[in-house]
Amino acid sequence: MRKALVGLMIFVISMAPFHAFGGAALDTVTTNVNSVLDVLRDPKLKGESGKKAKEQKIEAAADKLFDYVELSKRTLGLNWNKFSMDQRKEFVELFKALLRNTYIDRITGYTDQKVSFVKEMPLSETTIEVQSVVVSGNGRTPINYRVIKKENNWKVYDVVIEGVSLVNNYRTQFREILGNNPPQALIDTLRKRAGK
Amino acid sequence: MAQSKPQEPAAPAAGITPPSSDEYGDVTAKDVGERAPSSASAGASSDEYGDVATEDGASAEPREVIADPIKPFNIAMYHFNDKLYFWAWKPVATGYKYVLPREIRGLFSSFYANLKAPIRIVNNLLQGEPGYAGKELASFLINSTIGVGGLRNCAEECFGLRGRYADFGQTLGKYGVGFGFYLVLPFVGPSSVRDGFGFLVDWTMRPQTYIGDEFFSYESVGLYTHEQINSTSFHLGEYEAFKKASVDPYVSMRDIFIQYRKNLIENR
Repeated sequence: MRKALVGLMIFVISMAPFHAFGGAALDTVTTNVNSVLDVLRDPKLKGESGKKAKEQKIEAAADKLFDYVELSKRTLGLNWNKFSMDQRKEFVELFKALLRNTYIDRITGYTDQKVSFVKEMPLSETTIEVQSVVVSGNGRTPINYRVIKKENNWKVYDVVIEGVSLVNNYRTQFREILGNNPPQALIDTLRKRAGK
Repeated sequence: MAQSKPQEPAAPAAGITPPSSDEYGDVTAKDVGERAPSSASAGASSDEYGDVATEDGASAEPREVIADPIKPFNIAMYHFNDKLYFWAWKPVATGYKYVLPREIRGLFSSFYANLKAPIRIVNNLLQGEPGYAGKELASFLINSTIGVGGLRNCAEECFGLRGRYADFGQTLGKYGVGFGFYLVLPFVGPSSVRDGFGFLVDWTMRPQTYIGDEFFSYESVGLYTHEQINSTSFHLGEYEAFKKASVDPYVSMRDIFIQYRKNLIENR
């Protein structure tokens, strides 16, 4: 009996790291996405009066969810190296502003629907895809979050909706602009967008 | 840092530059899930080039590119469809949504979805999915009868039967036929040579096609128009959000089309 218990203990302890690795990404994304949705659904934050508070809360929740630097790097690809340090920092801020609006637009449409987190799939040593499904009256939309492990924290670096990767989509657009223009031109374009 | 020719990838970028520990530091192709630029092979040994390509293949999506040889035409059609949305689809669908309650519009959605069952049955068969073809056939029979001519998706709601989307462009893709090139169709939207042809083949499988005398008769095009308005009434605001989110809407839509179709062919 005792032997069996010790054996079980060793088994549990040896398995623990795998569980910690396996479930953590799913848990983190589930928690962070739900906290964004909770803010969106909060009845106290309805209407014009709650709008400002709502935006701030969403921003705080989104900051926990996304790794904007990683997103920016993957979106620019090797063009990242052509940006100066100041341009990189400015790009991250501007892209963050654009993404925040985009993502909020996308998920505010989903507030009345049911979001369920299905499973996670390892992509590489440090990256995992967390798969979710949004069920609404019109059908099921698969939304997958690609997360990367950094300093024991899982952060989203890409969102894939119905097979369409956000990073790939912006990368195609930015590459087209950077094909004929210097990095500053892209930054100016993004700044104009943010200024609107 | 002004680059005289930014379109040429910097030669030593892949594999040679050591990744910086600073989060704002330089990146390698592997870091950002990108294909190593082909010019890198000039500066790197064949081993190094091979390594990057292998690792890249494991971590990154191979990028699908589509030829766009008739871009001026496509851009013109893109603008045509854009105006069509803001001047016709959107106001009409908004009024339509105001007049008809959600439930009624839902009945129409089911009705049109049911009429497209032959497309799904045939293409599921062609794609080697007889099980799903059978489910789609059963759904079609159930919905057309108990579901009162397809007004309700009773097959799924009453019997839990869930079919599988399939179209002929997708079938061709599964057979290994490539996109051809990008093609924006007026009224229909983003497509390709392959998928545009698929659309025509699927059109022949719609029962509505045969209510008129011609292939594109007033009756069938009229029904198609109503189907589109009905569908748009559920998706108002989405196109606006798409435009707001994109930096170059034409390029963005083309890329979304490619990624979406590719996923439909490879993963579904």
